[in-house]
Amino acid sequence: MKVKAKLKNGVISVKAMAKHEMSTYNQAEKKTGNRENANFITHITATLKSSGETVLDMSTSQFLSKNPIFKFKFKGAEKGDVVLMNWIDRKGGTGKGKGKIKGK
Amino acid sequence: MQRRKFLSFTLGAVALAVVPASVRAENFRVTKPTVWTAHTVDDAIVAMFGSSETIKDGVKVKTQDVASNGGAIPIEFSTKIPAKTVALFQDANPEAAVCAYSVGKNDITDYSVKIKMAKSGTVTVVVEGLDGKLYSGSKSLEVALGGCEG
Repeated sequence: MKVKAKLKNGVISVKAMAKHEMSTYNQAEKKTGNRENANFITHITATLKSSGETVLDMSTSQFLSKNPIFKFKFKGAEKGDVVLMNWIDRKGGTGKGKGKIKGK
Repeated sequence: MQRRKFLSFTLGAVALAVVPASVRAENFRVTKPTVWTAHTVDDAIVAMFGSSETIKDGVKVKTQDVASNGGAIPIEFSTKIPAKTVALFQDANPEAAVCAYSVGKNDITDYSVKIKMAKSGTVTVVVEGLDGKLYSGSKSLEVALGGCEG
C-alpha cells in the first residue's frame, strides 16, 4: 500500500491507499454465485518504526471503497520517522506499506 | 541448568507481559462480531457501544451533498472530544457498519475515508468519549449512482 506522511506544526497527517478489491457479499454473489467469496480488508494498523507505538487502529467492513483511500492524523513523532502500515483481509491475505515522515 | 531455565522462563514471561501493553490494538471484528452483521444503524450502535442513546453534538461530519459515484464517497469526520472509540455507520447498505477506530493517546480524531453506498442515505459517526458518554453526528447525502450493486 502507498503511505504518505507529512509533519506540520507538530501534527503528522497521513494519507494512505490500499490496493484491494473490497468486494461485498452481494457483489460476490452476483459474480460467483457464492456470498462467501466476498473479500475485503478487515483490519488496518499503523505503527511508528522508532517506538513501535500504534497510531492507527481501524476495523473495517466491506463498505470501504475499492482501493480505499483514507487519511488520519496523530502527533508525537519526529520528521524522518517511518509510519509502518499493515492490513489483513477476510481471507487472511495481508499487505503492508511504509512512508517516511516528511516535513520542514 | 536450573538457573538457566529459571532465567529464560522469567524473561519469556516478562516479554509476554510487555507486548500486550504496547500493542493496544483492539480488533473490533474479533471482539464485537455482531456489529458487522447488524442491519440497522441503531442495532449496530447498540452492538458496538451497548446503547444507541447519543448526545447529538460535538462530532463534525463532512461529505458531498450529492455523490455522483456511490462507489467512492469521501467522508470526513472529526471531533474535539477526547475519544476512546470512533465508529462510522450508514443506512444505505445491507449492513450498517463501515469502520471503527480504536483511538490512541497520540491520535488526533480527524479522519477521512472513502466508502461505498448503494443508494441515498445518512452517514452517522459515533464517538465514545473517555468520559464514557456517546456523542454522534450525521449527514444525509444523495447518491446518484449506487456503488454496491444492490
